[in-house]
Amino acid sequence: MEEFKNNEYAVEMYKIVKEFNDVKAIDNVDFLVKNGSIHGLLGENGAGKTTLMNVLYGLYHPEQGEVIIKGIKSDINSPTKAISLGIGMIHQHFMLARPFSVVENVMLGRKSRKGILLDTKETAEDLVALAEKYKMKIDPYAKIWQLSVGEQQRVEILTALYQGAEILILDEPTAVLTPQEVDGLFDTLREMKNDGKAIILITHKLEEIVCIVDEVTVLRDGVMIGNVEVDCNTTKSELTKMMVGRDVLFNFEKSLNKTGEKKLEIKNIKVLNDKNFLALDGFSLDIYAGEIIGLAGVDGNGQKELCEALTGIRKVESGEVKLDTINIENKPPLFSIQKGIAHIPEDRHITGLALDWSLKKNLILKTFKDNSKFGLIDEKKIQERWENARIAYDIKANSGDDSARDLSGGNQQKVILARELENKPAIVIANQPTRGLDIGATEYVRQKILDAKGDGAGVLLVSADLEEILQLSDRIAVIYGGELMGILPSGSDVKKIGELMMGKKLEVKQNA
Amino acid sequence: MRNKLIKNLNQVLLVLGIIVLALLVGAIIISFSGNSPLEAYFSMFNGAFGSKQRFMEVLVRMIPLVIMALGTSVAFKAQLWNIGGDGQFIMGSILAMAVSLYSGLPAIIGVPVSIIAAMIGGGLWSGLAGWLKVKFNANEVITTLMLNYIAIYFLSFLVYGPMMDAQGSKMPQTALVPEAYRLPLFESGNRLHMGIFMALILVVIMIFFWKSTVGFKIDLLGQGEKVTTYSGVSVKKMIVLTMVISGLLSGIAGWTEVYGVQYRLLEGITSGYGSIAIVIALMGGLNPIGILISGFFFSALLVGGATMQRMTDIPYSIVDIVQGLIITFIIARTAINFKEIKNKIARRMGHVK
Repeated sequence: MEEFKNNEYAVEMYKIVKEFNDVKAIDNVDFLVKNGSIHGLLGENGAGKTTLMNVLYGLYHPEQGEVIIKGIKSDINSPTKAISLGIGMIHQHFMLARPFSVVENVMLGRKSRKGILLDTKETAEDLVALAEKYKMKIDPYAKIWQLSVGEQQRVEILTALYQGAEILILDEPTAVLTPQEVDGLFDTLREMKNDGKAIILITHKLEEIVCIVDEVTVLRDGVMIGNVEVDCNTTKSELTKMMVGRDVLFNFEKSLNKTGEKKLEIKNIKVLNDKNFLALDGFSLDIYAGEIIGLAGVDGNGQKELCEALTGIRKVESGEVKLDTINIENKPPLFSIQKGIAHIPEDRHITGLALDWSLKKNLILKTFKDNSKFGLIDEKKIQERWENARIAYDIKANSGDDSARDLSGGNQQKVILARELENKPAIVIANQPTRGLDIGATEYVRQKILDAKGDGAGVLLVSADLEEILQLSDRIAVIYGGELMGILPSGSDVKKIGELMMGKKLEVKQNA
Repeated sequence: MRNKLIKNLNQVLLVLGIIVLALLVGAIIISFSGNSPLEAYFSMFNGAFGSKQRFMEVLVRMIPLVIMALGTSVAFKAQLWNIGGDGQFIMGSILAMAVSLYSGLPAIIGVPVSIIAAMIGGGLWSGLAGWLKVKFNANEVITTLMLNYIAIYFLSFLVYGPMMDAQGSKMPQTALVPEAYRLPLFESGNRLHMGIFMALILVVIMIFFWKSTVGFKIDLLGQGEKVTTYSGVSVKKMIVLTMVISGLLSGIAGWTEVYGVQYRLLEGITSGYGSIAIVIALMGGLNPIGILISGFFFSALLVGGATMQRMTDIPYSIVDIVQGLIITFIIARTAINFKEIKNKIARRMGHVK
């Protein structure tokens, strides 16, 4: 840090006010980031974290306040200006051209050093050197669509570094990563910190970042609540309270494990993924009534295909899926809906909701036939249905006529829960039910899943979040490469689960 | 409920705004061409509404346009870009004509049968495109467009060949529809026929259609294939069904034109209605009432433009220009985020304060 003696701070933002339609999204916030440090920006969804960073990145112009970068007062009126000041931002949703290769993406928007010819080779070499310096592994000629989400994130980071970023903003960088990828990312960030760069991590998942950040600023409802130095020993309850404004219970009452009879039997199924490779290769699992079975695994090991196969959305090539005694594999989706298999899909926006539709109509996506009279949708009935769901699931919206798009992620998920859990399902398939949600909503969704189990449903909880699996599951199954690695009892050691997630099979007595 | 009303009102204001904007920009272009925009618009207005006869002509034109636009709107709602309205119109009118020429049924049975025949002709023609999409993943824009050409040349083949009027003047056209089969006129000397009721009834039917479970499924398909499958609705079935419904409406439009206006088949019977119907459907926000209103406007524009050309020196291309401007503004409307602009203005005002 010695080389930055002159200015201790990389970023100084004073008394920032940003309004949208007379609502103060950010109200008089001071935000300071030291050189050579990793700074957490913590807050619930809607607390103003991203807005504040968009001000820093020149996407928004603040109504009041001043921004000082490396000791120089700056008027950042565009991202171009921000980049020229050495500020880089990695958005939650990556901005990459998918058909292009890594190096081509980095070259986008830059002048070639070879005039009208492309300097692809030189850039690729620079890129590899840069990646090595920051402990990243990347193939510069790989196409973006071939890369995992974690690798795509690396490309974003490399692009920012290549543009000369000294101040790097990462918006919810861990939300899409697996535990292993998170570790890799943090190694990279530490290297960058040692290099004197300032890093800002926007997040609402504080447990993941306490060990890496030096300091945390907490925002709530657009106001700065506090600025604290943290390390691995900082307890999260304190910070959580600052974020949410109340105590949050992370320890759920797990009702006593009184499992019922076998509900769903998955026997040796083979399922193809979208690219026609085997996503599930002889996968078997039984789900009992009144239990939550957590399916742990690194993303992309067949979880999505499993959920789709169980709900009739994806074809099962061979093997059997039995609900009670009925075979349900390769039946149309409507069949499993009618048989009481609820499905909370991984992708709220594309699969779980008709985004442009009203909330009312979204509630009856699967039951529109029952909510109609003489072939016409019964407006009165669905209005009632909405009123009930709004109260029962605490959905925050102005009216049932609002479109689903206008709701926050947490409220969108509540609408899905209201629809899926309404008719006391026999089986609940929940794929990443809390991904991208804030603490309050996460807590809510988990409680509802526990309630469903309490009502006797057999729940398959697919999650890349081990903490979630450990909190909720009665049994923990681990998937790797489309195969079941083993089933562990609740309360198993994380390391043990981790081993299975990396593809080590559990030794089990073979049942005939 | 009030929210809905405001939403609908906004839609209407938006359409009016688009029309006014198109007329204003059109005025600039007209004045560049050395004509007086006021004179042009006046004679256009006069041409459409200046007499009872002209006004009725507007309604005559409106009948097939509104029905076709309703058909187009069904497919568009499901994000299926059926641009083959003309082909479906032609196939509908061919089958409808065949009934009156060959069936020998009394009118009381023959007319309903001819409507059904028109629906089958139009419905199967676009259903074919739907089936091709489901079976071979063939893009419906291409297939419906190509099917247009097939229908157009098939019609030519028929009116020059097997269906040509044997007794007639050896013109490329069929014999006339027997008088008993024809849609009655409101008054002799005017072309306005009872088909107007068909158009109005279909508008009402479509209002209810969008509240039905079938309409629900078609609308859902427009929200994406994934959410449709997830909701337990078969995407493949819905694609075919949507296209069939879309096409059968255009088929009915063909029926009104044959039985109400032309009384026979002839080349060029669609007069390019298909493309205008697309604009009407989009300008009407794919909503039946909106389609009725914008259909009326476009019919007035077409009829008024034609009269204007006859009465003054101002060229008919003015009509095309205004039409083109309207399309441009409709497309621009989806591209421009009005909320963002409003916010920007609000921010500016805030700065001043």
